[in-house]
Amino acid sequence: MNRALYAAATGMAAQQKNLEIVADNLANSDVAGFKGAAETFTDIATRGGTLGTAPAGAHVMFTQGKLERSGGPFDLAIQGAGFFAVAGAAGGVAFTRNGEFSRAPDGTLQNAQGRRLIGARIPADAVSVNVAADGTVTAQTAAGEKRCGRIRIAEFSSPEYLESAGGTLFFQTKASGKTRYVDPGKRGGPELKFGMLERSNVTIVEAMMQILAAQRAYEANAKGVQAADEMLRIADNLSRD
Amino acid sequence: MAAVYHAGMDGIAWAASAMSAAQTRLEIAAQNLANGSTDGFRRSVARGSLDTRGVSVEGVRDNGQGALRRTGRALDRAIVGGGAFVLRRADGHTVRSRSGAFTRDRFGTLRDDLGRALVRMSLAPGSYVRSGFLESSNVDAVGEMVNVLEAERSFETAQKVLTAIDQSAQRASSKMSEFK
Repeated sequence: MNRALYAAATGMAAQQKNLEIVADNLANSDVAGFKGAAETFTDIATRGGTLGTAPAGAHVMFTQGKLERSGGPFDLAIQGAGFFAVAGAAGGVAFTRNGEFSRAPDGTLQNAQGRRLIGARIPADAVSVNVAADGTVTAQTAAGEKRCGRIRIAEFSSPEYLESAGGTLFFQTKASGKTRYVDPGKRGGPELKFGMLERSNVTIVEAMMQILAAQRAYEANAKGVQAADEMLRIADNLSRD
Repeated sequence: MAAVYHAGMDGIAWAASAMSAAQTRLEIAAQNLANGSTDGFRRSVARGSLDTRGVSVEGVRDNGQGALRRTGRALDRAIVGGGAFVLRRADGHTVRSRSGAFTRDRFGTLRDDLGRALVRMSLAPGSYVRSGFLESSNVDAVGEMVNVLEAERSFETAQKVLTAIDQSAQRASSKMSEFK
C-alpha cells in the first residue's frame, strides 16, 4: 500500500511539473521569439526505483513561430533555424530568436534586456535603415546610402542542448556544439526578414488543453493516494477490532 | 472466477490473501496512473488467479499502441506497431524502450533523456517509425480510476469477511467455555 501511495504521489508531482511548464509557456505566449517547452517523464523503474514516474527534463520546442509584419523600425525575424547573437555588457554572447531591437545611443541595435546585436552599427545621421535578405545593413543618410554592417545568424549542431536563461535568451554549452555563423538568404539556409517579428510558437488553445489534461491526471493520481490511505486505515483498524 | 475452497486453507488466510491481492491491484493501478504522461509507457493489467495459496494478482503488460502526438521536433520518433528502440546504457548494457524522445549530442549520437544511446531500432514485420511524433503512454486514466475504486472496495470486502470469520470464531470459543 505504501508503494501504491508513493507511486500515486510521484504521479501528482509529475502533473504539477507539467502544469508549471505549461503555465510558463502561456505566460510567454505574447513574447516575440519565445519557444515553448515540454516536460518529459520516465518510468521510475528505468532509474532503479520500483513504482512511479520521474521527470526527465524539459525540452524546448524549436519549431518555427508565425512571422508577423510589425511596426518597429529595426524589427527582424528569422525564418528557419538559427539565432541572433547578442552581446551583454559583460561581454558574454547570448542567442535569441527575439528580433525586437531598438537603436542604442551608440548606434548599435539593442534588445529589451539591453543586449546588443552583433554585426551592425547605425550612424547617427541615418534617416532610414534597411536590412537586406543576405544580412547587409544599409543606412540612408543625407550623404547617400551607406553600408553599416552585416547581420549573421548563429547556428548550432545541437540547439536542444543550449542552456535556457529564461525568457528568449539561450547560452551556448559544450553539448550544443560550437557556434557557427552563417549568412542568411543562402539556399536551404535560414532567411532574415526585416520589418517582421516571429511570434512565440505557443498556441493558447493547445496550452489550455494541456492544462485541462494535467488537472484531470492530477486528480486521478490524488484518487490513488486517497485509496491507498483508506486501505492503510482499514488495515490499521484490523488490529483494533 | 469460480470460488473453489481448498482444503487445508482456513477462512482467515483466504481473506488475508484477498486483501493482499487487492493491494497489488492498487499498486498496479497507481503505477499506471503515475505514468499517464510517460511517453512510450506500457500499462499493466491486473490478472487474478486462484490456487491453493488463495487469491493472487499479477500485472500483465498490455502492449497496445499508445496515441501518437506530433511534437515538431525532428529527432522524436514513434514506433507504429510492434518493436522497440534498442538503447545502450552508460554501463554498456542494452535495454529496449518505446520512448523515442531523442536529442543529437555533439558527436552525432542520438540519446534519450536518460543519456542512453540509440543503437538500432528493432521493428516487428509491418511496423514503421514516424519522425516528429512521440508515442504517448497507453494508460487510460478513467479506466485506472475505476481500477483504484475496485481495489479499494475489494480490500474493504475482504477485510469485512476476515473480521466476520474472526468474530464467529470468537463467539464459538466463548460458547465452548459456557459448556464447561
